Amino acid sequence: MTMIRRALVALGLAGLVAAVLRVRGTGGTPPQRGGWRELSPDELR
Amino acid sequence: MHVAVVGLGAVGTRAARQLASTDAVERVTLYETLEGRVAEVSSSLGAKAHAGAGAPEVLADVDVVLLATPCGSHLGLAGDLVARGIPVVSTSDDVDEVRSLLDLGPEAEARGIAVAVGAAFSPGLTCLLARLAADRLDRVDEIHVARLGTGGPACARQHHDSLGGVGLDWRDGGWQRRAAGSGRELSWFPDPIGAADCYRAALPDPLLLVPAFPGVGRVTARLAATRRDRLTAQLPMLRPPHPEGGLGAIRVEVRGRSQDGIAVEILGAMDRPGVAGGAVAALAAVELGAGRARHAGASGLATLVEVRPFLRELARRGVKVAAFG
Repeated sequence: MTMIRRALVALGLAGLVAAVLRVRGTGGTPPQRGGWRELSPDELR
Repeated sequence: MHVAVVGLGAVGTRAARQLASTDAVERVTLYETLEGRVAEVSSSLGAKAHAGAGAPEVLADVDVVLLATPCGSHLGLAGDLVARGIPVVSTSDDVDEVRSLLDLGPEAEARGIAVAVGAAFSPGLTCLLARLAADRLDRVDEIHVARLGTGGPACARQHHDSLGGVGLDWRDGGWQRRAAGSGRELSWFPDPIGAADCYRAALPDPLLLVPAFPGVGRVTARLAATRRDRLTAQLPMLRPPHPEGGLGAIRVEVRGRSQDGIAVEILGAMDRPGVAGGAVAALAAVELGAGRARHAGASGLATLVEVRPFLRELARRGVKVAAFG
């Protein structure tokens, strides 16, 4: 019974940490600009 | 203009086709040791193309000769042609041969002709991109070149050999010899190629870039390779090279200073190396044949041609340059 309780507490804590990281963690939308682009003829003048 | 093309492999054939479609070129004379190849190519190129009679060394009334034979065979012929005062475009990317071709510089200069060394995809287009990127900066500190892909079978053999050779890095005013296959860097090539691991290899780009950019602190060149490429580099090629590789790419990163401080310019191009190399070689031949070389002597394309008009014409022919950032 004690082991089950400890396991449930551990799972709960893990879920809590995961939720905090999910909300506050870095990441988000990848860059929407930049990358490779073809040079226009004007840039070769 | 009369242009002779010696060697009708993946690059030479494309170069001959580009020349035959150039208004300024009136005659293209073709040389190839492989039986039947000259007739096959000349019949597909139209009235401007002719089979060369005799050896290319004795070719008369030619304005420029484009050498596109496998690496290791350019020096003797180039020496003969320079001695006769005929401009030469070489597509060789063998380090020793490029060094020897550059040594023809004083004689070419004395005769008032130009020798374009390493005028294909890489080196060649890489030298042009380095110049274009450098022109956007006030001072150039470092140039780093990376290349992916091969053209025809001779190019594939050269790719194999270069991974078993010694890489040349220019660092703080001196050459450093480093083992090929070392120095892994992840390079991002223009789409759709994407990222590839690149390694030091016996590549001639630094030999051409260092004299073109006096005062540059570091110049390196790397080659994209797979684990199998590196593992088998010291062995003979385990299977015959393919007739033509797939898409290839180059990436040129120039670091330096602009008025805003430290700046990095990254340019690249993506195409079949044989196609792009042929177009670059053909355009270089047209420039030299028309007497538009910026100076006499032997050098890479970074100093030999006007870069912007050259790249505009190259783009018109389908080889386009991309910038990162």
